[in-house]
Amino acid sequence: MAYLLIVDDDEDFAGATAMALRHAGHEVKIEVSPSRAVETMGERRPDLVILDVMFPEDISGGFELARTIQREDEKLGGIPILMLTAVNQRFPLEFGPGDIGSDFLPVADFLEKPVDLDVLCDQVARLLERVNSTENNDQA
Amino acid sequence: MQGSAYDVSRSAGERTVYELPLAGSGTGAPEAAKPGAAPYLSEGLLVRSALWFCSLRWIVVVILVAFGFLDLFPTLLPRIGLRAQRQWPFTAAAVLAVANLGFLWHARHLARSEDAHGTKANLWAQIVVDLAVLTVVVHFMGSLETYVGFAYLFHIVLSCIFFPRSWSLAVTGIACSLYVACVALEETGVLDIAGIYADPTLRARMGQVPGATLLNVTWAAVTWVVVWYVTSHLSAMVRQRDADLARTNRRLTEAQKEKMQHMLRTTHELKAPFAAIDANIQTLLKGYCGPLPSEAHGVVVRLGTRCRRLATQIQEMLQLANLQSAREEPLDTVEADLAEVLRWCVAQAQPIADDRGVALAADLQSARAVAVKDHLRMLFTNLLSNAVHFSHRGGRVGVQCSPGADGGAVVVVEDQGIGIPPNKIPRIFDAYYRTEEGVRHCKESTGLGLAIVRRVAEVHRIRVRVESAPGRGTKFTLVFPSAETPVTQAEEREDVADGLSADRGR
Repeated sequence: MAYLLIVDDDEDFAGATAMALRHAGHEVKIEVSPSRAVETMGERRPDLVILDVMFPEDISGGFELARTIQREDEKLGGIPILMLTAVNQRFPLEFGPGDIGSDFLPVADFLEKPVDLDVLCDQVARLLERVNSTENNDQA
Repeated sequence: MQGSAYDVSRSAGERTVYELPLAGSGTGAPEAAKPGAAPYLSEGLLVRSALWFCSLRWIVVVILVAFGFLDLFPTLLPRIGLRAQRQWPFTAAAVLAVANLGFLWHARHLARSEDAHGTKANLWAQIVVDLAVLTVVVHFMGSLETYVGFAYLFHIVLSCIFFPRSWSLAVTGIACSLYVACVALEETGVLDIAGIYADPTLRARMGQVPGATLLNVTWAAVTWVVVWYVTSHLSAMVRQRDADLARTNRRLTEAQKEKMQHMLRTTHELKAPFAAIDANIQTLLKGYCGPLPSEAHGVVVRLGTRCRRLATQIQEMLQLANLQSAREEPLDTVEADLAEVLRWCVAQAQPIADDRGVALAADLQSARAVAVKDHLRMLFTNLLSNAVHFSHRGGRVGVQCSPGADGGAVVVVEDQGIGIPPNKIPRIFDAYYRTEEGVRHCKESTGLGLAIVRRVAEVHRIRVRVESAPGRGTKFTLVFPSAETPVTQAEEREDVADGLSADRGR
């Protein structure tokens, strides 16, 4: 079981996603703004963040938050991010799989909305497994 | 929020006061065209010009040194009617070379620091030193008996191009003054009359004609002032036009950026609710909220299907609108490897193909085309989606990409699906058009995919050929123009009536 944080201004979407992830055995918290998410992450470090791209106050708030997490060394640094976006492949946000992990898109992976909840749960499981294996390797 | 664009203040009672800026006023207002608003060229251009002048000056230095070396052949100069030049060409060349090294060092420093004030000072110093050295050359070559004095015109013209009118007038004034002073000092005996001609009586004979010196000097000065007037006037006009174009370009760029943000926002705002509905429908269908009665399950499945279809339709409508406006705007084209774009599109279509039991087979050779990358993705994604949706389960969709015969590229998307009746082929690129056979086979089609293909083809002058036979499949062949042939807006519009309509006639 992992502690997951969903950062999405669409509470209906976040609620449904959280329901699926809770069924998969995870503990899930929802935040609707990047600023609140930073506070929440400061209180308790999540194992994974599921992050939207666009927020009402900032068209690229998701990118900004991802970069903030990447810049942080102690508290937030290294938290894997799964980005969910409603505007990606057919519209020119101009990022793709090749950008993953770069300074421009410092996330572990991204999925396009609408998303199949089974695919989302599988992806979350895969990312958590990757994090665990990296940590185990580091300890070894 | 961009604070600078809003007028927000606080009154004594800490109540925030805000006044909505009206369109056309304040910071958001378009910049008015002011005559003489751009007295200088851009800073980068000025620095590059300063460096260029330094390069040209080396040529002058070489010419002066070469002229000085003619003295090494004492019999040569008298043979062509000239006299020995003593040391002045070397002295002038040395002064110019030392000054040029200084100018060059300073200009290179400016290129790195972009000091606006320094660039103009550098250019001014170059002009003043050049005029002074030129006056020395004029004196030794012959101020009245040669046309060397007209070399002042180079500096006058260049100052008209690079400086405001008042400054170029100052350069003209300095040139006239130096020339007049040179002649006056010669005529009054303060300076020896030099000159390059071996005949010592030539200047003296000119002096015997009453008023000849005054007439020559006045004529030269009037010529320079007239050249200054005409050149500076034309240059100011060109600079004004330049400034207007730059302003228009800035406005267009801003408008394009705003449109793009609007499009992103619109897409997000329209897609996000569908994503939420879809996610909640899934929670019902996957049993997260408990088991559903079979009839209710069927209803929720239908809701989900319609929801996804509507989301796709809205997305495609937005794409069409975006492409429509792209025909009237400058295109942000890049030279792209079509094989690379196709690989990305095939990966996107793979899950749908797997779901529908259709095999995707790609044979992609590198081939380049100049286009908007996002348009290419739309084009290929829609063709592939079309081929997959109208294939039979167990069918195969082939994608090929190869360089074309004339330097362009050829892309083929071929399916073994339901095909299109011959009389309906001309209409398949119309928005919302779907054949009866198509609707029966696949209810999910919106009828917009091939309309998007058509728009992209029109914008990028891509020839589209369709070959189809009912029950045997359809083949789309795209012929891209050579990457060396740029697409102009005029060509795009002219081609609207050509391209696809030619294919329709087949």
